[in-house]
Amino acid sequence: MRMEMDIIVARGGFQVACQASFGPGVHMISGQVGSGKTTLALAMASLIPYQGRLDKEGMGDVLMSFQFPEHHITASRLDDEVRSWGLDPEQVLPGIGLDDRRGSDPLHLSRGGLKRLNLACVLARDPDLLILDEPFSSLDCVAKSQLCRAIEDRKGKITLLFSHERSVLPRVDTLSHVEYGRLIHHGTVPGSIAAWQGAPPYIRQALQSGARPENITHKDVREAICRMRD
Amino acid sequence: MQDARLRILTTIVLSAGAFISLYGALATLVWWLLLTPRWQALPHPRILLWVMVMIAITSLVSELSGGEGFSYMVRMIAILLIAAWAYSQRQDGELLDVSVWLMGKRIGFDIGLTAEMGMQSLGLIKQDIQQVRQAMAVKGMKFSVFSILPLAANIVMNQLRRTEEMAKMLTVRGYIRGGEIEPHFHTARIDYLLALSSLLVLTTAILSYY
Repeated sequence: MRMEMDIIVARGGFQVACQASFGPGVHMISGQVGSGKTTLALAMASLIPYQGRLDKEGMGDVLMSFQFPEHHITASRLDDEVRSWGLDPEQVLPGIGLDDRRGSDPLHLSRGGLKRLNLACVLARDPDLLILDEPFSSLDCVAKSQLCRAIEDRKGKITLLFSHERSVLPRVDTLSHVEYGRLIHHGTVPGSIAAWQGAPPYIRQALQSGARPENITHKDVREAICRMRD
Repeated sequence: MQDARLRILTTIVLSAGAFISLYGALATLVWWLLLTPRWQALPHPRILLWVMVMIAITSLVSELSGGEGFSYMVRMIAILLIAAWAYSQRQDGELLDVSVWLMGKRIGFDIGLTAEMGMQSLGLIKQDIQQVRQAMAVKGMKFSVFSILPLAANIVMNQLRRTEEMAKMLTVRGYIRGGEIEPHFHTARIDYLLALSSLLVLTTAILSYY
């Protein structure tokens, strides 16, 4: 299973180019707000037109979680919304604490509740390729940590994580950064961490102090600092 | 056409000309062909095709039942093309400007504000439809008669929620009625030419009617 691309995406007077290859694992794609992450994510999900080559070898189910969870809503009841994903509400709603609201309008949920619903649905489908656009936005720290574990548990599948999250991150396999209208692929971790332009402050500080973390989570950074002190 | 006042006047005059008679409609089509960016000012081809098919069916039914189906079709197409041109030229805030210029800072402001909110809603509904299409594509849902109703209901509910939020925001900001705005318009020479030529179209329509 592999996703290979050499594409240029133009959207509303804005252009972003991407030449990359992603195999099974978690691939972090960072970039500032407005850098073109969403445009690139939509193109990778084949939801907007692009120029060039985009091959998805050996993939069945391809799913994308939009940045704004309300953009996924196609039903007026919570249970129907879960069914619209081809899932059983009995299996999805209790896990996110929404079992007692199955008859509610999804748009009456808080943004965080809606995000958890959407992420629970896309993760329950367990697609071969999962594209997550800003999955951590609107989530509290507990929900962010749960999401990280769920992402890490996707063994043998491809997960593309488009995010500018600065605090809670999962363990990843590769790092890339979108800047000046193109995707810069830094390579696999841990070798690419030092070059990662989208590194959050806690990683930058650790690198400046000489620590060499194995991955990008807080735990990895703490361990790297502890190893230095030892 | 930069001056919104002249553009709205031109749109009204041409629409009236196209509606009055078949010759007026043909003159409007000639005006559209000669003086607008033509295809660039049209809506998405699929939407255009859908509207054209609906007009054609209505015209055919009218023609078969003894009415003036062909004339109706030409007139409706002319009005549609002029409306599409006027919509493509629109700039945010200009309806408020024109309304205040025409009717003053109280009733004019209120009508202009309502018109602007209506136009903004049209843009948002267009975005909603695009998002629903993307959501359906992601979920692998097939577009069917059964899926249209709940999706349309969702879009309407979204719009009602936005309207309620807008009403609350206006209340919080102290809006009661009327408002202060100084309308500004830039009039190019071509604007006068377009407006005057539209009056010729209307004259043609009236003369051919009698």
